[in-house]
Amino acid sequence: MTTYAFDDEGVVVIIGSGAGGGTLANELAQRGVGVVVLEAGKHLTADDFVNDEWGGYEMLSWLDKRTSSGNWRVAKDHPLNPSWSCQVVGGTTTHWSACCYRFIADELRAKTVYGDIPGASLIDWPITLDELDPYYDLAEAKMGVTRTNGLPGLPANNNFKVMYAGAKALGLNVSTGRHAINSIPYDGRPATIQDGFTITGDKTGSRWSTLNVELPRGLATGKLELRPQSRAVFIEHDAAGKASGVVYVDGAGVTYRQKARAVVLAGNCVESSRLLLHSKSARFPDGLANGYGHVGRHYLRHLIQTVWSTFDKPVHMHRGEIMGGMIDDFVRHDPARGFAGGYYIEMNSMGLPTTAAFMDPGWWGRDFASVIEQYSKMAGIFMSGEDMPQPDNRITLTDELDAYGVPVANIHYDDHPNDLKLRSHGYKVLTSIHKAAGAKRSVEAPAYPASHNLGSNRMAGRAEDGVLDGNGRAWEVPNLFIADGSNFATGGACNPTLTIVALAIRQAGFMAGQMAAGEL
Amino acid sequence: MSAVTAHKDPKLPPPVALPEDASWVGALKLFDAHAAETLVAAARTLYPHDGLPERIYRRTVFHFDAMAAKAPVAAQSFAEFVDLVDGALPLKFAELSEGYRVQVLKGIEQSAAFRLVQRSTVRFLYDDVEVWQAFGYEGASVHLGGYVNRGFNDLDWLPDPPPGV
Repeated sequence: MTTYAFDDEGVVVIIGSGAGGGTLANELAQRGVGVVVLEAGKHLTADDFVNDEWGGYEMLSWLDKRTSSGNWRVAKDHPLNPSWSCQVVGGTTTHWSACCYRFIADELRAKTVYGDIPGASLIDWPITLDELDPYYDLAEAKMGVTRTNGLPGLPANNNFKVMYAGAKALGLNVSTGRHAINSIPYDGRPATIQDGFTITGDKTGSRWSTLNVELPRGLATGKLELRPQSRAVFIEHDAAGKASGVVYVDGAGVTYRQKARAVVLAGNCVESSRLLLHSKSARFPDGLANGYGHVGRHYLRHLIQTVWSTFDKPVHMHRGEIMGGMIDDFVRHDPARGFAGGYYIEMNSMGLPTTAAFMDPGWWGRDFASVIEQYSKMAGIFMSGEDMPQPDNRITLTDELDAYGVPVANIHYDDHPNDLKLRSHGYKVLTSIHKAAGAKRSVEAPAYPASHNLGSNRMAGRAEDGVLDGNGRAWEVPNLFIADGSNFATGGACNPTLTIVALAIRQAGFMAGQMAAGEL
Repeated sequence: MSAVTAHKDPKLPPPVALPEDASWVGALKLFDAHAAETLVAAARTLYPHDGLPERIYRRTVFHFDAMAAKAPVAAQSFAEFVDLVDGALPLKFAELSEGYRVQVLKGIEQSAAFRLVQRSTVRFLYDDVEVWQAFGYEGASVHLGGYVNRGFNDLDWLPDPPPGV
């Protein structure tokens, strides 16, 4: 592997190796740009992964302490783990279930389309769908998304048969959806063997991740250096106010300082905001790029929830890819429904360990026991909907320091009235689908720790409305970028990874162009 | 209850083998017999599956003991839990009927000690391969070739969706 000197001022330093950071690293390396990737987690391989829900959770997850507040259910159920991302080379792409849907045009104009909603800090994105679509095309091709580029959809599994029967009875538009999981061999990776363990690392490589696609290709260029177990703790700037380097601590506890031509934060929403807020100086007393006070604010986590239903006969929902089902009838904004924004309905399955843990944390007794005993006859259906940005839903620093001397983050989130209306609508529809397929009993499961973490360093058309411009560059620090989902201007409804990847490809082109022009 | 066979990932250790009689508590690092049996009674009251043998609930408490041996804060919470449930009524918790046990547990639901015991029971009980077998969860699959040829689409009581949907 190529190595760069700590005082090499010509490298782009990327913090995080997941969907945003890993993709951007490869895209820059392919363009001949020198890149150092700092990843807090270890470099694991397919051999290390296990087909075990808790074993995988403990192996891959970011388990450092966080705190939570606000009236969201997560603060009660998971007060010290309010957000769920991964700390490993490949980031959360080692865990994701690979749903790949695009934003629709209206979602990128949320403020204009939804109008003034009290308490919501909606803005329009500084880019349009027409500008983004070519990058969605590139992302889908590199990820091998089913139902694009001639690739067939995932085959129907047992859980999908239930979803299909119910959806068809209600006249809904249902398919197995689009996934970055190979239904047939593609790009040197095999077709899925329907093992059902995409969330614990994917041992076969049938699903796209930065671990198995972007990082190896970036490394092969000789322009990329990957430093695992390297925990970024501070971003430095020079006298001109430009980012000049990153201080990080390696696995042995030794502190280093890597100089940089440009710095990119891609450590997932919470960590990127935390690092900016912590990187205070005389010039940036409230944290880097935080002159307008938006860093950490407008935090979004999507309106995620599942309905689990029991049936008379076996389903065996755990067999096969876990989210291979999609209904898009409720994606469009429709004021007649009584709320702004929309939601995707998707299939969901979990193994017995996490079904029991997340069905309704805190529920115990004979009623719970009688439901969970029906596991083999259970089906799952899920939704991901747009939540309203609110300025006080935010990541802040607490007084408690972690082992690296960085303040522990708190996540505050209050549900907006629009969120509750959308959630209620969604629960009713999810339940009606299962009822139409013959469900005996349906349980409305609450949200689990947030895995769609978005918006807390948002892009905006004006500096006073956000942290970043439309290229994910900090308004106040011209060589500082963000490549994770914290750069979203609003959340949309769909799973965010495809958009994170598309934005990273676009950002790479912008950065390389700026460098070629001598401006970065 | 089900015709499937459950598998733990071969890289993970098999379930701990505990003696089938009262001497099982000898396998514990920290808990005494009374604490252990009280926690077994609590785990069974929280998640009462009449068809599951006692050894599964004991294995759950074996995991509590390992947690307590690793973390003094957890050890203190488990001890508090035993004191709380024993002190609630004139009989010790393990000697109470199920209805009284439920009453006692409802009375302490807001405590941190209850939360630890309840969450830890879910964490370990439903991660036990014998419970998987009983409730029809097959578990690890890659080492067996996944489910692609082992029933991922064998549901036959609903019509099959058209190909390519």
